[in-house]
Amino acid sequence: MHEFGVMTYLLDAVEDKARELNAARVLAINLVIGDRSSIVDDSLMFYFDMLAQGTLAQGAALNTRRVPNRFRCSTCNTTYEPVGIDYRCPDCGNIGQMTDEGGEFLIESIVIERT
Amino acid sequence: MVVEHIHVVKNILVGNDQIAEINRDRFTAANVLALNVMASPGAGKTSVITKTIEALRDEMQIGVIEGDIAGSIDTNAVLAAGANDAVQINTGGNCHLEANMVQKALETLDVNQLDVLFVENVGNLVCPTHWYLGEHVKMCVLSTPEGHDKPVKYPQIFSISNVIILNKIDLIEMVDFDLGSFYQTVRALNATAPVFEISCRTGQGLPAWIDWLRAQKQAYSQA
Repeated sequence: MHEFGVMTYLLDAVEDKARELNAARVLAINLVIGDRSSIVDDSLMFYFDMLAQGTLAQGAALNTRRVPNRFRCSTCNTTYEPVGIDYRCPDCGNIGQMTDEGGEFLIESIVIERT
Repeated sequence: MVVEHIHVVKNILVGNDQIAEINRDRFTAANVLALNVMASPGAGKTSVITKTIEALRDEMQIGVIEGDIAGSIDTNAVLAAGANDAVQINTGGNCHLEANMVQKALETLDVNQLDVLFVENVGNLVCPTHWYLGEHVKMCVLSTPEGHDKPVKYPQIFSISNVIILNKIDLIEMVDFDLGSFYQTVRALNATAPVFEISCRTGQGLPAWIDWLRAQKQAYSQA
């Protein structure tokens, strides 16, 4: 249920940026969300439709680029997306080390319209 | 009409993080080490805090901010253990604490009197991980009956924690908790955070945790 709080802050940040740029309205919001963030797209969209009413972002497209949780295998020197119940490298079976990929929680860009 | 594509690249919760930085400045000004305690309901967050207070009450002043959906049971428990001060935040159903709730609690909690502040988050392994509160230390408590598979199911909390407590270690034989598997996955997610195996019921392992916290406080105060 934390998508409600997330969307409240997200819309505040977008509106602040849009006002700073003298935007007439926001046409699109582009997010990058890693799989470790446990954010549900449908739930975000539900709260977006509800909370964007009356803001500069009303009617904007909300786009989410998901980033999978990636690990680095020091033996094979490759990165991989772990599957199954542990974090083993699919090639050599060793357990690798988590990378930053998959933890993203960002507003990457917005598309605005200026008069 | 001009349409422009603007790069932002900011944390979605930038508004929360700004308030968290204000909290952090207050902790720093008061020379108080702040810990954000995160765990599932029933892992033993309050027990770890009360045992820590009992061990350190003669050498430092410890305060607690208690985040709960409702009630004040935990606040009463930490005060009975010897906390210098405690403030209850009732989130009214919210699944995590946010920086502005801690900011409000700091209106009534006098951090200048404290050496260490525990912020006990709402019992939840997912939501609290997003919300920076201004803490210096992110602390995760897991208990053996929850199972050794929790790091795989909830990787984010184990990856961001600065210290991990494995509580109820006295029950390990009864609940088939596989320590080897637990450490393998925790270390894949987090190479550096110390892990303390403790039992709040028997006292096993508590001295090592207390020593670590004491050292953190000393290092923080000298920085």
